[in-house]
Amino acid sequence: MLTVANLEAGYGGSQVLHSVSLHVGAGETVVVLGPNGHGKTTLLRAISGLIRLTAGRVELDGVDLTHLPTEQIVAAGVVHIPQGDLPFSEMSVLENLLVGAYRPAAWSERRERLERVFQLFPLLAERKRQLARSLSGGERRMLALGRGLMSSARLLMIDEPSLGLAPLVIEQVYETIHDIKRSGLAILLVDENAEHVAGLADRMYLLEAGVLVREGPAAELLRDEALLAAYLG
Amino acid sequence: MAIPDALDRLLQALYSGVLNGSVYGLMAIGLTLIWGSLRMLNLAHGALYIAGAYVAYGVLALGLPVPLTFGVAVGGAALIGLVVQVVLITPILENPGRDSASLIATLAASIVVQSAILLLFGGQTKQLPPLIDGGFTIGTTLISYQGLVVIGAAVVCLLLMSVFLHVSRRGLAIRAISQNMDAAKLMGIPIVPTFVVVMVTSAGLAGLAGVLLGSILFFTPSGGFTPMLMAMVVTIFGGLGSVTGTIWAAYIIGLMESFLAVYVGASWALPGIFLFMIVMLVIRPNGLFGLGEARRL
Amino acid sequence: MIGEDAEAPRPGHVLALPPGMERGTLTRLRPTARPWAETSWLAVGVITVVMLGLPWALTRVDGGNYITHLIITFFVWGIVAQCWNLIMGVSGIYSFGQLALFQVGAFTTGVLSFAVGLNPWVSIWAAPIVAVIAALVIGLPTLRLRGIYVVLLTLAFHELLRNWITTGPQWISGGGYGLVRVPKLGFETVLGPQYEKVFYYYTGLVFFGLATYAIWRILNSPIGLAFTALRDSEDYATSRGVDPFRFKLFLFAFSAFFTGLAGGFSAHYNGSASTSLFDFGVMINLLVMIVLGGWGTFAGPIVGTAILTFLTELLRAFDLYRILALGIAMAVIAVAAPEGLVPLCTRAFHRLFDVFFEPDEPPARETADQPNPETRSTPRDG
Repeated sequence: MLTVANLEAGYGGSQVLHSVSLHVGAGETVVVLGPNGHGKTTLLRAISGLIRLTAGRVELDGVDLTHLPTEQIVAAGVVHIPQGDLPFSEMSVLENLLVGAYRPAAWSERRERLERVFQLFPLLAERKRQLARSLSGGERRMLALGRGLMSSARLLMIDEPSLGLAPLVIEQVYETIHDIKRSGLAILLVDENAEHVAGLADRMYLLEAGVLVREGPAAELLRDEALLAAYLG
Repeated sequence: MAIPDALDRLLQALYSGVLNGSVYGLMAIGLTLIWGSLRMLNLAHGALYIAGAYVAYGVLALGLPVPLTFGVAVGGAALIGLVVQVVLITPILENPGRDSASLIATLAASIVVQSAILLLFGGQTKQLPPLIDGGFTIGTTLISYQGLVVIGAAVVCLLLMSVFLHVSRRGLAIRAISQNMDAAKLMGIPIVPTFVVVMVTSAGLAGLAGVLLGSILFFTPSGGFTPMLMAMVVTIFGGLGSVTGTIWAAYIIGLMESFLAVYVGASWALPGIFLFMIVMLVIRPNGLFGLGEARRL
Repeated sequence: MIGEDAEAPRPGHVLALPPGMERGTLTRLRPTARPWAETSWLAVGVITVVMLGLPWALTRVDGGNYITHLIITFFVWGIVAQCWNLIMGVSGIYSFGQLALFQVGAFTTGVLSFAVGLNPWVSIWAAPIVAVIAALVIGLPTLRLRGIYVVLLTLAFHELLRNWITTGPQWISGGGYGLVRVPKLGFETVLGPQYEKVFYYYTGLVFFGLATYAIWRILNSPIGLAFTALRDSEDYATSRGVDPFRFKLFLFAFSAFFTGLAGGFSAHYNGSASTSLFDFGVMINLLVMIVLGGWGTFAGPIVGTAILTFLTELLRAFDLYRILALGIAMAVIAVAAPEGLVPLCTRAFHRLFDVFFEPDEPPARETADQPNPETRSTPRDG
């Protein structure tokens, strides 16, 4: 479904990603593990068009997405749920979710999608008139996920869903991601912590210093003791 | 109808305050939208305002019926805004020096429009004929029907804009861009086309303000400068990027100006407002409902 | 910068502050702060001789007096343009109050010499002083705030001053036209009226030279570097210990001094302080001088003023279209060549003739884009 080939990207003068190649199949959940600052967020931002690639290609089902503006990448079905949530702080929860359904196809179905999101996140339903900036960390994470689900996403890219959250909340978030996986959506998830990834990921990659150093079925990587030591807890 | 003097002056101040406030509101909304989404100060706004009046004037001279001229004037101003946006603004959006470049570019646009108007229409003061003639007096205050039309039209427009921004899809998009550009991109909101929509809408509103006020006051080619300055004051007072704040601020400033003029003296109106603004900027830089960007050192 | 959210400095735009710049202390002047060591003295000498002898030569030529007048105009506006460029182009303070400060100078000396009766040679020095005071008054509340507020407040000041001078008491407003009988500097008695302009020329030349030299020194000093750092990334500069407000205030006052002086000189030269100089057209003229020549460069405003002064004369017949053309020119520059003519030509020059010069050493340490100024092999072009 999503193919990334030899991607290179960075900021200003410094190159962060070196010849990164990965792929995500339909319905698959792929997890990219890596220490902080080693390029995981840069990878997602390059794929979604927030930063320019200096080399390489990004394709979705054969359609070339490289160098397209973000709005067209989203229209193609690649939805990036960003690190730090990036809520529209002066808008209510409801309005935030509605913005998620901006694209015409999603907009015409916004009421149904809103229902589904509220079922998935009852907390958001309770707070739907509240301003986004008054939400707690976990609630903002839910909001970001819900917003992403309002769109007609075919592939959801989730950036560090566990960042800055209390362990109990992280569990809830990952449970929801499990639900999303069960609904059949393809997921590309990056995180620095492998703790909740078992049972979720089909395949995994390891990104260190901007280079993919390992890849393989999740079960195999998760049996590796050295890896577990480095990326757990 | 004779009424006590104190009430008379009050009425005078209220009427012109509401009138001015309505027009300032129309102009300031455009400025605050452009500021909110493009992070840019549009120095061409005054020229767009006066262009509205002149397009209406020109169209009238060609013999079109009066109600139609409003639409054409708004369309004309919007068209100029479109050209400015596409030709001048969009190319420099990505440049690192875009702040100063946008100042210069919009200033340049303002000059071009104003001198074009000067060339086409000459420099004498002009006025547009009112939709409805006549009025009535209460005390010494003349309340013209046209004045009421202006207030009514402005209020309707302001409400429509508010509704548009809070309910419609594109309105949501504009607000989203103002609040978080990256997030807006990730929602699939097309950035450049939305900027164009913002600019065109803002220009249209300015043009409308020009036509409305042009039917009550006289205007000259350089007459857009002071209203633009007032609109900028309103925008800042209401909080850059906040539409609700701007509408409130417009009427407050309009009333303040007219009260100063009636009770202290006409030549004190402008200086008084500016003084107030300086004080406000020092004490509360974010304005009434500001989305917060005036940082102190 | 107007409205920039606080974020990391744009890579490549940040200059490394020279050692000793942190905490505002100055250590020994680096080579870049002693650019006179690199100047070609021959060139300066030649120019000086030419400039000194020019007015005498022009008195012999038909219409030469008019050319002298043009050059004097160039001196006046060249000072103002350089001062405005120092604030806007170099330091990124979006002030539109330059013209108002010019008028402050003009009207101060005008009133003092005409209404009060002071000797113009005395009152002319009041002009820069009052202008500096005005600048401090505006600057104190304004310069603490960010871009858009400075624009508004300085525009407001311009408007307020214009309002007061035009509609104010008779002794200043002269019925709305300004002061129309400002005493001149008394040159017509020295050698006769036909040589009067020569002395104004020299006075103007001295003022222009002073201002240009002062600005040149500032631009090439650690202070100048600090200003550029402020413009490129205020947050970064602040974090490195540069106090933006004091620098800005100093700069504002500094440029007000020479602007006021120019205003005073202009009043005595023209024999009037006119309210028409508040017109937007004049401000546009000034802006084009800076933008056309080179926004933020040293030579830019000088070149721009020269071009515009003489161009205005050539186009005098088309006055109405002139402003339109200026607007279009400004628009084109803003989009196509925002840096202005001087940098554009300098780059073209280097591209053509680089083969004759030694290559610059590769850029060192923290900066990605800017070559270390110390290793520049070609002499600084002003």
